[in-house]
Amino acid sequence: MRFTWLFATAALVAAGRPAAAQISVIPVRDLAFGPVIVGIPTSIGPSHPVRSGQIRLTAPLNSRLQFRLTLPATLNGPAGARLPISFSNGDGIAVSGASNSVPEVFNPKANQVVQNVASTTTNIFIGGTVSPAGNQQQGGYTGTITLTVTIF
Amino acid sequence: MRATVLSAVLAAGFSSGAATLQAQTSADIQATATVLSAVTVTAGNDLQFGNVTPGVAKTIGIADAGAGRFDVTKAANEGVTLSFTLPTDLTSGANTLPIGSWTGGWNTSATPAGATTFTPSAGGTNTAATAGTTVSVYVGATVTPAGAQAAGGYTGDVTMSVVYF
Repeated sequence: MRFTWLFATAALVAAGRPAAAQISVIPVRDLAFGPVIVGIPTSIGPSHPVRSGQIRLTAPLNSRLQFRLTLPATLNGPAGARLPISFSNGDGIAVSGASNSVPEVFNPKANQVVQNVASTTTNIFIGGTVSPAGNQQQGGYTGTITLTVTIF
Repeated sequence: MRATVLSAVLAAGFSSGAATLQAQTSADIQATATVLSAVTVTAGNDLQFGNVTPGVAKTIGIADAGAGRFDVTKAANEGVTLSFTLPTDLTSGANTLPIGSWTGGWNTSATPAGATTFTPSAGGTNTAATAGTTVSVYVGATVTPAGAQAAGGYTGDVTMSVVYF
């Protein structure tokens, strides 16, 4: 009898365990500052319709999710040059896929815990600021932003 | 003894279950930027109509000697947007002289010959991305003096703004 209860509990745990395949994280677009001028900081807001970064995550309804952004401090450019990039407390926006959803501004440097009660899809938008020096090496610069999502 | 064993199994089972109650995945996007030199604009020539006759419209084309010219210095291989603030009248004290029918042309060589023509506007015109670091922009227009136009010198400001696109 005791063993039966034990196995039943184990089965419930197994059934409730979220599978990695249940969540997906899809890169939609890069955070693209475009042309920036030496000596002039340039900011892109998370609500920018074209240049903000966007990642879409999908998880079963009512999932409790933690997402965390790994952000670069510099972008890498030609001949080892580095371009400082920073993120302010309002440079993240999360938007549920529900038609009546209200965008929620968040600090991209902090972990976020959400429960997707209205839609299986959440879009994460990211802005930031690059600050080229007056003698910044000209050319193209890139850096990686990683969104890690954990489902509980 | 039996109870002790069961407790150990239960603890192990729950511990294992808690550890697998999470699934994690991630994705990357890139942050990208292209650092460019500052773009500069220099006023070259004024748009000069010279003497005009009351009641007779006068046009200066982009290839005419009186055409206005701006000189742009920019980063190589980058296009720019040319935007204009244009007067609708030239003024001489309280008197006004209508000006309009603006024409424009841009060229990477310092000559209006072969320039790419466009209509100057506040909305802006994109130049093609080119290998050059200089762009010459030529501007023409038409003034339309009335038959009773007051004599005098008339002037107005033509402003061009340039940004990378």
